Amino acid sequence: MRGAEISGCEGVLSLDRAAAGCDFEVRGLEGPACRQLREIGFCERMRVRKLTDGRNFLCVVCGTRLALSRSLARQVRVEPVV
Amino acid sequence: MRERGKNGVLPKVALVGHPNVGKTTLFNRLTGERRKVGNYPGVTVEKVSATVFTPHGKKIELVDLPGCYSLSPNSPDEAVTRDVLLGDHEGESRPELVICVVDAASLERHLYLVMQVVDAGLPVVVALNQADRAEAEGLRINREVLRDLLDVAVIPCQATNGQGLVDLKQTLRFPLPAPVSRQWKGPAAVESAIQKLTRTLAESGVSRPEAHAIHLLADPDYRLNGQARVLRAAQIEARQTAAGLIERDLKPEEVISEARRAAIRGVVRAAVVRRGDEEESRSDRIDRWVLHPLWGWVIFAAAMFGVFWTIFSFASIPMDLIERVVGAAGGAVGSLLPEGDFKDLLVNGVIGGVGSVLVFLPQIVLLFLFIGLLEGSGYMARAAFLMDKVMTRAGLSGRSFLPLLSGYACAIPGVMATRTVSSAKERLLTILILPWMSCTARVPVYLLLVPLLVSGPFAQTLVMFLMYFLGTVTALGAAWVLGKRVGRGAPESHFLMELPPYRLPDAGYVGRQVVDRAMSFLRKAGTIILGLSILLWALQAFPRAPSGEEQDQFSHSLMGRLGHAVEPVVRPLGWDGRLGTAMLSSFAAREVFVSSMAISYAIDADGEEGEEAVRGRVRERIASATGPGGSPLYTPLVVLSLLVFYVYALQCLPTTITVQRETRSWPWALGQLAGMTAFAYLASLMVYQGGKLLGF
Repeated sequence: MRGAEISGCEGVLSLDRAAAGCDFEVRGLEGPACRQLREIGFCERMRVRKLTDGRNFLCVVCGTRLALSRSLARQVRVEPVV
Repeated sequence: MRERGKNGVLPKVALVGHPNVGKTTLFNRLTGERRKVGNYPGVTVEKVSATVFTPHGKKIELVDLPGCYSLSPNSPDEAVTRDVLLGDHEGESRPELVICVVDAASLERHLYLVMQVVDAGLPVVVALNQADRAEAEGLRINREVLRDLLDVAVIPCQATNGQGLVDLKQTLRFPLPAPVSRQWKGPAAVESAIQKLTRTLAESGVSRPEAHAIHLLADPDYRLNGQARVLRAAQIEARQTAAGLIERDLKPEEVISEARRAAIRGVVRAAVVRRGDEEESRSDRIDRWVLHPLWGWVIFAAAMFGVFWTIFSFASIPMDLIERVVGAAGGAVGSLLPEGDFKDLLVNGVIGGVGSVLVFLPQIVLLFLFIGLLEGSGYMARAAFLMDKVMTRAGLSGRSFLPLLSGYACAIPGVMATRTVSSAKERLLTILILPWMSCTARVPVYLLLVPLLVSGPFAQTLVMFLMYFLGTVTALGAAWVLGKRVGRGAPESHFLMELPPYRLPDAGYVGRQVVDRAMSFLRKAGTIILGLSILLWALQAFPRAPSGEEQDQFSHSLMGRLGHAVEPVVRPLGWDGRLGTAMLSSFAAREVFVSSMAISYAIDADGEEGEEAVRGRVRERIASATGPGGSPLYTPLVVLSLLVFYVYALQCLPTTITVQRETRSWPWALGQLAGMTAFAYLASLMVYQGGKLLGF
């Protein structure tokens, strides 16, 4: 688990694989729900904090708490903020 | 500028913003209205308006539009906002000013919608709501810089306490501000395409050609969807222009979206300063427990059980009081009047019938108080988050949870709230199963029957809880079965929801909501239920039995004959003719079941007993009623069969009409009515006959 957390905080990866408790920056979106994700706040260069893990999980984007499903999170590419 | 206020059409100002940003609270503050607000997204699903006066005393129409994240709608309620702003909504003039309500603590997310409204060629004022919370979270917003960069008035305000309202009202003075030019610039090819399309649309007679040109290029669904409220010729032109850009590797929707976002980043960089790192908020700390995979469910179950337990145990004091008042009223009226039909009508028909329903008012008040507290605190959105897992298994998503939850209060707002569900398939499924959420009209029936089945508040709460559970579980099962047949091939939907920060519920709004619901219940008791009680009394009082004996009256009356006619149909359910008639009468309103039983059994009672109040007496009479052989008529199995019937039967004409309106289909609405009635009958039949086979 610890190892997974460390790997989840390194390099560009999809948000569903990112570790909870880390801060990320959105690098891009790929998939059919891009427009919907951008509208709600997951747009390029936006900072995201992943709060929880699970089937649906919580993120904070621009001061707003958003709940999203794992399948949607797979469409968001993020990079850890160092 | 066109002359305002002529031909009786008031100048219009619209409130626009993200869901749950505080638009309706602001609308209520500005107009003095009492529209429903809640701390979760999607409370307003249709536009509402009221007239207000400007600081100079001019009348204007203020319109509260459904919340949306952008003008590219994901659900039917969001499409209303786009169509009103682009002037394409049928029978609706375009607003002359738009107040964009934005959350100051989340400015970057909210400015995209502001940009789109500016692009629609509308004058804009930005209401910077929750400015205090943003400050507390370490954000410093330079309003002058924001105003200069956006070129529109920026008014900080706090919708919940009315702060900043005076300044906001000042922006409504005439002449209203003019539209400003758009804040972004795309690549040369896109700019040239916008100009060319604008010219072509203007030549084709499309109103507001530039606004339509930008929106047609920025939203592929708007230019491709045949249902969009825009001229077909404009769509064809836009498709050709977009195809030309795509050939050059420029997807217009992506280019325009990125140009807007680049402009927003510039504005935010210049106008917003964040002090320090984002710290874990109080809401985050609460959510760690409330959304925990195990504790979250424990809290959810405890909250729901607590609500029902309180309704059963605390409501008994005011209920006893109402019973005594109704009994005393019956006694007083009875002692003043001479024996005869008129006394019988007033005492047994009017006071007995309406009083038997009125006694449930405290429980309804308590239920709405809890719903108001849960909505106002922000817990409802968390419940939707938790329930998504369950809902997905039934082919729905957490999005459907809030409309279904509204169904526990009343199916009609629940059906309307499905407009926030983006997937058409999920929306239809939600509408079809929604009447199985036990609404408050069923509460009086449950409360009359549950104590006949078990005694003690804990056991009664448990049975009541099980009735709600039965309806909900069957509804989800039905969604799962129907989902395999309805809307095959529909795109997969995903769960995406904003969770509002926890707040202390606004006592004023919760109180008003409770009062409004109580008044609506009282109005129903004073109109439909009163009317039906009189009708039911007449049906049981006439024609008079030739013998003049009370015991012969029911079988001789019209209702007795009707009961006799329906008895063969309801006998397999364990019911007698009186129950069959009470069930039929409750197709007009479920609560009438209680008054029907009250009137039906009051006729057998002697004068003194008939003047006593109502609910406990009705229950006693039902419990002691015997059949022709002297055996008890209302055995626990019969009561259970009745309860199951009332869980499943769709006995609400306004709901059927609302379903027709929302689905635009009579076959769906009538199919739902027929299907649910047949299901209720079969379920009740299975309970009774199955119970008898098992020896109960």
